[in-house]
Amino acid sequence: MPEIFIDGKRYEFEEGEDRGLLQFILDNGKEVPFFCYHPSMSAPANCRQCYVKVGTPVKNRETGEYELDENGEREIRWFPKMQTSCTTQMQDGMVVHTQETSEEVARAQKDTMELILINHPLDCPICDQAGECPLQIQTYKYGPEGSRFEVKKQHKPKRIQLGPRVTLDAERCINCTRCVRFTDEISESHQLTIVARGDKNYPMAAPGREFDDPYSMNTVDICPVGALTSTDFRFKARVWEMNQTPSIDITNGKGTNIDLWTRDNLVMRITPRFNGEVNDHWMPDAGRDAYQRFNENRLSRPAIKLDGDNQSKTSWNNAIETFAETLESHGPEDVLVVGSPHASVEENYALMKVFNLWGVNNFKFAPHIEEGTGDGFLITDDQAPNTSGVKLLGYEESNDLASEVKNTKIVIMLSDELIDRGVLSKDDLKGKFSILLSTNECDTAKTADLVIPVTCIAEHAASYVNVEGRIQRSFPAKETKYTNRSLDLEMNQGRLDRFGTNFDNWVTEENKVDCAPAWEIMNQLANRMGLDVSFGRGREIMEEIAGSNPAFENVSYERMDNEMGINLNPSNKQEATA
Amino acid sequence: MEETYEFTKEDLDEIEAIKAKFPEVMPATLPTLWVAQRRFGHVEPPVQRLVAETLGLPESHVHGVATFYTQYYKERKGKYVLDVCTTTSCQLCGGYKMLHYLEDKLGIKAGETTEDGLFSIQSVECLGACGYAPMMQITNDVYVNNLTEEKLDKVIDSLKDGKMPEFESVGMPLLENINNK
Amino acid sequence: MASDWKSFEPVLIPDIPNLDKIDNYIKNGGYKALEKVVKENGWTPEKVVNEVKEANIRGRGGAGFNAGLKWSFMPKPDGGPRYLACNGDESEPGTFKDRKIFEYNPHLFIEGALIAAYAMQITTIYVYIRGEYYSWIKMMEKALQDARDKGFIGKNLFGTDFSVEFEVTGGAGAYICGEETSMLESLEGKRGYPRVKPPFPAQKGLWGRPTTINNIETLANVPGVINNGANWFKNIGAENHPGPVLYGISGHVNRPGVYELPSGVPVMDLINEVAQGVRGGKKLKALIPGGSSTPVLRADQLDGVSMDADSLREAGSMMGTAGMMVMDEDTDMVDVLWRISHFYHHESCGQCTPCREGTGWLEKILLKIKNGEGEIRDLDLLLDLTTQMEGRTICALADAAAWPVRHTINRFRDEFEARCKKSVHAVA
Repeated sequence: MPEIFIDGKRYEFEEGEDRGLLQFILDNGKEVPFFCYHPSMSAPANCRQCYVKVGTPVKNRETGEYELDENGEREIRWFPKMQTSCTTQMQDGMVVHTQETSEEVARAQKDTMELILINHPLDCPICDQAGECPLQIQTYKYGPEGSRFEVKKQHKPKRIQLGPRVTLDAERCINCTRCVRFTDEISESHQLTIVARGDKNYPMAAPGREFDDPYSMNTVDICPVGALTSTDFRFKARVWEMNQTPSIDITNGKGTNIDLWTRDNLVMRITPRFNGEVNDHWMPDAGRDAYQRFNENRLSRPAIKLDGDNQSKTSWNNAIETFAETLESHGPEDVLVVGSPHASVEENYALMKVFNLWGVNNFKFAPHIEEGTGDGFLITDDQAPNTSGVKLLGYEESNDLASEVKNTKIVIMLSDELIDRGVLSKDDLKGKFSILLSTNECDTAKTADLVIPVTCIAEHAASYVNVEGRIQRSFPAKETKYTNRSLDLEMNQGRLDRFGTNFDNWVTEENKVDCAPAWEIMNQLANRMGLDVSFGRGREIMEEIAGSNPAFENVSYERMDNEMGINLNPSNKQEATA
Repeated sequence: MEETYEFTKEDLDEIEAIKAKFPEVMPATLPTLWVAQRRFGHVEPPVQRLVAETLGLPESHVHGVATFYTQYYKERKGKYVLDVCTTTSCQLCGGYKMLHYLEDKLGIKAGETTEDGLFSIQSVECLGACGYAPMMQITNDVYVNNLTEEKLDKVIDSLKDGKMPEFESVGMPLLENINNK
Repeated sequence: MASDWKSFEPVLIPDIPNLDKIDNYIKNGGYKALEKVVKENGWTPEKVVNEVKEANIRGRGGAGFNAGLKWSFMPKPDGGPRYLACNGDESEPGTFKDRKIFEYNPHLFIEGALIAAYAMQITTIYVYIRGEYYSWIKMMEKALQDARDKGFIGKNLFGTDFSVEFEVTGGAGAYICGEETSMLESLEGKRGYPRVKPPFPAQKGLWGRPTTINNIETLANVPGVINNGANWFKNIGAENHPGPVLYGISGHVNRPGVYELPSGVPVMDLINEVAQGVRGGKKLKALIPGGSSTPVLRADQLDGVSMDADSLREAGSMMGTAGMMVMDEDTDMVDVLWRISHFYHHESCGQCTPCREGTGWLEKILLKIKNGEGEIRDLDLLLDLTTQMEGRTICALADAAAWPVRHTINRFRDEFEARCKKSVHAVA
């Protein structure tokens, strides 16, 4: 196997390796500073930050053997200039010095950094990027201590609304062209270009045109400085005040991996999380708006219709009691359970198990497909995150839920805004007793006779199966009235916590929703009805599913975490076991 | 109301002929911007858009190209744009003097346009006429070499009459002169 | 050898009237070399490449690389398109020679390019001419049409299998497009950003296909080599840098212009005899020998120096494009250097950091010094910056911006120091 020596240590690489040297260095846990390089896009080598010193061993032309010096070491022919490691192709026997072992390289990196910074406004205190800024971080690590720049900076436009969701500060831009390459190579909207020339350069949309690419906000994520910022998130929170929790995009069926950024039990923003099998580094803009659903218009405390159409809040005990009494005054044959592609595998499972045990055998769900909305990339026709999951659990797909409802007396609905999305009408539910377990205020909730608030994806650990049959899971990112992030080991903590202090930057205990996971509600209902059911947390429920449903064989949270999701398709399974 | 722009039949024929020179459409960007600028006198954003639409290329691409190259007028200029070279050889031979003479004469600074819209003055980089310094180019067309104040006066007068100076061929100095010396 | 320049008969632009007319060009032996290589069996493409390599035509665009050797880097034909891109961007300040070929002897260049196309089995030739040369672009369009009409361009030339297209296209104002890969980008209709090498154009050039880039004057030398042989060419001018050269002389001389002479003519002969001396009887102060990026030489550094790569390197400069800029004793070197730095700042494409940021910084410091507000430490900062820029960028523009700063300050340091503010701090 070909070998390469980096800072004196030997590494092996595959013949025909298409990774550049920089990526190889990063993949081996070492570091070389860089700005313009991005593993999913072409390497323009324009920032000139990732310089390394590179040499190749000299071979004897006749024997093909390596020439040795007087110490018996291989003789190295050094490249006359330092090389940008992002564009350097590895060769067998190559010797590389990074800034760790070469003064010359460290000096060159510092030189470039000084030049990058001369026209950059040093406004970190008011810049959204501060705290997660490659320029800031790498300046601390590799930059000069001060600046020798005593002349006037180049001024450029600030606070430009590039499009509905992205704001540009051209002075902060270091012309890495990541944003332009993103629209050329990834989203292919070709909406951005660099304009002008030299130090007047900056990225821009065509005059009079909006940067409204449905993936526009990815440019904010990959901008290595604070030039492109999220118009929505601007000035809302400092990075170090937030907790970062892995989750799944619920706005369509792709299962894009995301991070939820929370502060004071509010989700402040959503960013994509790398998963090479699903979404690479990207996510659609639409998925980022979902954070509002987690914070606003939440159903909090159960509600019940007492007189006519007027709902009023009620206690949990009363809600469970009403639920049980309603069931007991009818028989299992009078009940329709409507599962939800918008809810997790665990929630759908818990409902099915409890009602099945009681004798119900009418389990349906209405797919939420909008033909033609998918783009073949990260936006799917499927508007729900778990259509595959609810199917695999045995809920029967129904394209005419209204007729199903007609033949029943009690309709139990899980987290699906069936009236709002036109599957059912208010009239369909007239004369029925309808029970909704859901997360947000909506017409469906207003219509239901009993409304029980359940946790949303930001509040529980649960799994979702995407359109390709990949099961992935969420983590709780914000507390409910009944959870505590210091006690809940599934929950992430803020930056300071991670470094061992006792507190982080959350300043209020407000913003907790009075809701509970659907399985806990099922526990209470089963207990009240004398059914022998007791669900643990999501992790344990998944163990139970894996043990009973062949489609979920060998699935566990541990595996999902280690493998970044598991493909449930039978063909893939065979491959995995083979 | 934004003005609307359209290429004429001849322009479109010319653009087709340009496209035929290359295996792809994108290479036609620069020449088509030239066709547009000669037709409309500038390539302001609506003209850039017309070029993009005509070629079926992204508007951002055309905008990026138009702003990269200095000869495209991204904003309206005077009827005659006087590009006075001030780079090294012209600098040595009085390019700035000629520039300032023009500025005083027309009452505008480099980068500005006279009120009647007739003249713009620009201080430009080397035009490749170093042996005939100082010199200027008029509206991306003819070069006027070996400028003097008197020559500038004449050129301005003739431009005011709507007459562009003729192309001035500067010969190769003959070597016999040297040999005979 | 260098002294017999006076008896040299020009070959690139001979003193024959109306050579730009194709009939006249043909009457004077034009297109014979093309016909010979295309028709005669002995002249295989390889043989043409070898002959040109042997002649050692060093690129006249500034880099001075052996043209035939460059041709030999082209991969074997695979049936797909292959390109020759002729660089007529000519934008290095002090350079105004290729336009003479477009104007006075366009068919010599066209013939040279066609021979190159035959040698490398090129399918399409593009000549890229700077946009400012509108008049000369028109001349080339006319000349190409004439050549096409006569059957020298197109399908099955001289009844053989050899077919080639030849198109002219123009820039629109960007010095950087003289850099060969930037020119390819511009030809492809894009912003003129130089490309990262490798891959080199011979592997991946225009539209990802094998491409060779040659300067106009370089190609104009090719028909002579074919007609008269490599040895003929090698015996003209300086040994390691042979052949006729179009010297562009400008600045403070009595008779500026473009002169065709052998390489290796003594610098002082060019200034004093060819250009007939410094204007107004003044003393010579300095010379920039090959376009504004080549290091300036003081008058006292010019003794015995001749215009060829070796001699100029020894003297501490470069041949570049042989665009010589002559400066008399009254020249303000601070002013000159500021203007040169202004040029590179204005022309930096802005793609990579050291050049985008460095060229502006250089100019701003020089402006400060020019305005009498600089300090001695600014000179050292300038020198430091040149090392931070040189060799650290995708193309050579940063080098071109750095060299004049380094060498002008080093060679005229007292003049720069005199312009700086005296230190306000008392020394002990």
